Amino acid sequence: MTYMAIPNIGNYTIALATAVESLGIKAWASTATTPEALKLGINAAPESVCLPLKAHLGHFIEADRAGVEYAFMVNSVGTCRLRYYRHMIGDIMKDLGLKIKIFGLGFDGFKPPIVRYFDPGPVTFVKPLIHTALKIKVIDELEVAAWRTRPVEVNQGDTTRVMNRLLVELSESRTMAATRAIRKKAARCFAEIPIDTEKRPLRVGLVGEISFLRDKCLNKNIEYILGSQGVEVRNFFLLGEELNNISRIVLLNQNRRKYLSKIADSYLQCTVGGHALDSVAHSIRCADEGYDGMVHLCPSGCMPEVSVRPILKRVSKDKDIPILEMSYDEHTCGVGIATRLEAFADVLRERRKKKRSLVHRVDMVIKPNNADIEKKLNKVCP
Amino acid sequence: MLKTHKALKRRSSHCMIKGTRMLIDTSHRFLKRISDIYRVKKGAGDVLPLTVGIPRMFYYYIYPGLWETFFRELGMKPVVSGMSTAKTVEKASEISETEHCLPNKLFDAHLAELAGRVDMIFVPRVLATIKDHLSCPKFGPLPDAARADIARVTEVLSIDIDETSQPLSSSLMLLGKKLNMPKARTVSAVKTAISAMQEARRKMDRPVRKKGRPYFLLAGHHYTIHDNFIAGPVLNKLQSMDVDVELISFSENTPEKSYILWSTSNAIYHKLNTISADEYDGVIQLSVFNCGCDSMMMDTYRQLVREKNIPYMFLMIDEHSAQAGIDTRVEAFIDSLGWRK
Repeated sequence: MTYMAIPNIGNYTIALATAVESLGIKAWASTATTPEALKLGINAAPESVCLPLKAHLGHFIEADRAGVEYAFMVNSVGTCRLRYYRHMIGDIMKDLGLKIKIFGLGFDGFKPPIVRYFDPGPVTFVKPLIHTALKIKVIDELEVAAWRTRPVEVNQGDTTRVMNRLLVELSESRTMAATRAIRKKAARCFAEIPIDTEKRPLRVGLVGEISFLRDKCLNKNIEYILGSQGVEVRNFFLLGEELNNISRIVLLNQNRRKYLSKIADSYLQCTVGGHALDSVAHSIRCADEGYDGMVHLCPSGCMPEVSVRPILKRVSKDKDIPILEMSYDEHTCGVGIATRLEAFADVLRERRKKKRSLVHRVDMVIKPNNADIEKKLNKVCP
Repeated sequence: MLKTHKALKRRSSHCMIKGTRMLIDTSHRFLKRISDIYRVKKGAGDVLPLTVGIPRMFYYYIYPGLWETFFRELGMKPVVSGMSTAKTVEKASEISETEHCLPNKLFDAHLAELAGRVDMIFVPRVLATIKDHLSCPKFGPLPDAARADIARVTEVLSIDIDETSQPLSSSLMLLGKKLNMPKARTVSAVKTAISAMQEARRKMDRPVRKKGRPYFLLAGHHYTIHDNFIAGPVLNKLQSMDVDVELISFSENTPEKSYILWSTSNAIYHKLNTISADEYDGVIQLSVFNCGCDSMMMDTYRQLVREKNIPYMFLMIDEHSAQAGIDTRVEAFIDSLGWRK
């Protein structure tokens, strides 16, 4: 069987592995970059490039060592460094003497080169793609359910256990019917987790660079750390949503960027590149929706994300929402991240308490001065 | 000074804002904000020119001489911030975002130098300097970041420069419109400014070459190879070692299209692709700490030059660079070339 290495984008790799089957081959992937792969990438890449490149490079080197012949790398059309990833990874692999063949999604004709190369039949090609779409949908739902239940679960670790079991089942499902069954089962499984209904968890939005929002190894499992601290996270990268947006732009000419720029207009009037505009717009939206805080993730020296940091600081001041800036490099340690997040969660909790007591005190002051209330009080007890 | 301003404001608060030299239509968003300052300046009878601050970074070097001439022609007073020095860097490391690249930090320091001193600061959004190319993505949010943080006390005048959608001259016409200038005046100002820019570029590029002396190419971004702090020590050292150096020129026609879309990187790529070993004794690539474009292209450049058998040195400048460190490296590089012969 021929294998193809695909980049890691968190749990969505499970769905993309199904997509690769449309070419009549099998996928070689993992849901998170392994530390060994990252080490390989760091050794091979120039020192000042951003961390996602090193992660991808390491992943492909590992794949080549495992005997994989083909690899697939997304090519972006944006302004940032992601655009040159495929070219650079190809160059470095050539220098290292590795023979893996890297495909992109070039648009030089009706069929992309990758489809032209493998040339699958129409049935084998389309069916797995529909299955992929379904799987992406299911994973979206699983993620959302996990964010909601993790902070309120009674026995810590229940959600993660359920989630992992479902993901394994999902990765093994070969037919649409099986995936649909898992989708039904997932709702039941999450409902069965005992939760503390009294608890009002803090709400925190995660924004920033996508590979850091998704890859558990790169972001040091930030969703889990925050969740176990009693924080309900909302990760602003859901692949299903993202793909929906892209198809809407292509088919219906509805540009979501325009919608985001409208929100961010008073702070940022340009679509920078990467997900920088999204970061700013979502931060503003979250502040308006009453979130307790935001966490902004990016690799150290990320061009678009770092350049909007002063703007995020201003948003944080104007809208009174704390934004934690996290930047990751190859020396970032999970324990350090956990400490910072714990401190952040503590600060948010105290803030909430303070705000509540303030509201309470204001009420106490205002009520006696309110003439209507005094009249009512007099009526009740003259 | 302050007292007179207040008095002037009081006197002119009721009068219509209609100048002889500059017509201000307050319906415009930007002019509405700036009109208060203008009202103060205009009250005395004769019009004091508005001062426009131009930070000596990025677009000042990309379009040399253009902005000063343009604003002067429109009857404004351009104020350019001073040369970058060690003090600028010190200030930059205090106020700027820690993970910015060095030029962006210096830019912030230059902004801080101007903020509060001038009526408005000019920060354009340079999206593309060559047709069908892109600028560094950091230029996109530059005016917004300035408004949000450092230049908060002063108005920020901005204009989109995107050569892919419209040429520079039309962008300048829009800028004139934004400032509510008569069209005829803007047209002549644009003409003068662009010819001044071409003149300045010609002066910048002119390589000095004497026979028998080693000849080097210094490659880098506009704002690194012309900046006093970043390129100054290297140029000083080369001069003291009796070495002639050519600063890479960007004023030539559009470089050939390649897989690189960043305009400066593509221009350097194109230049390194066309040079030969007979022309140059070596290439010095001047880069700055945390530069995203250079980090991706460095290896490509090195490969190109290696194939041509030209010696190549990659020099990275950061906040802590000093003359002594650079001296050692440049000296070692040039000495090693002597052994090669």
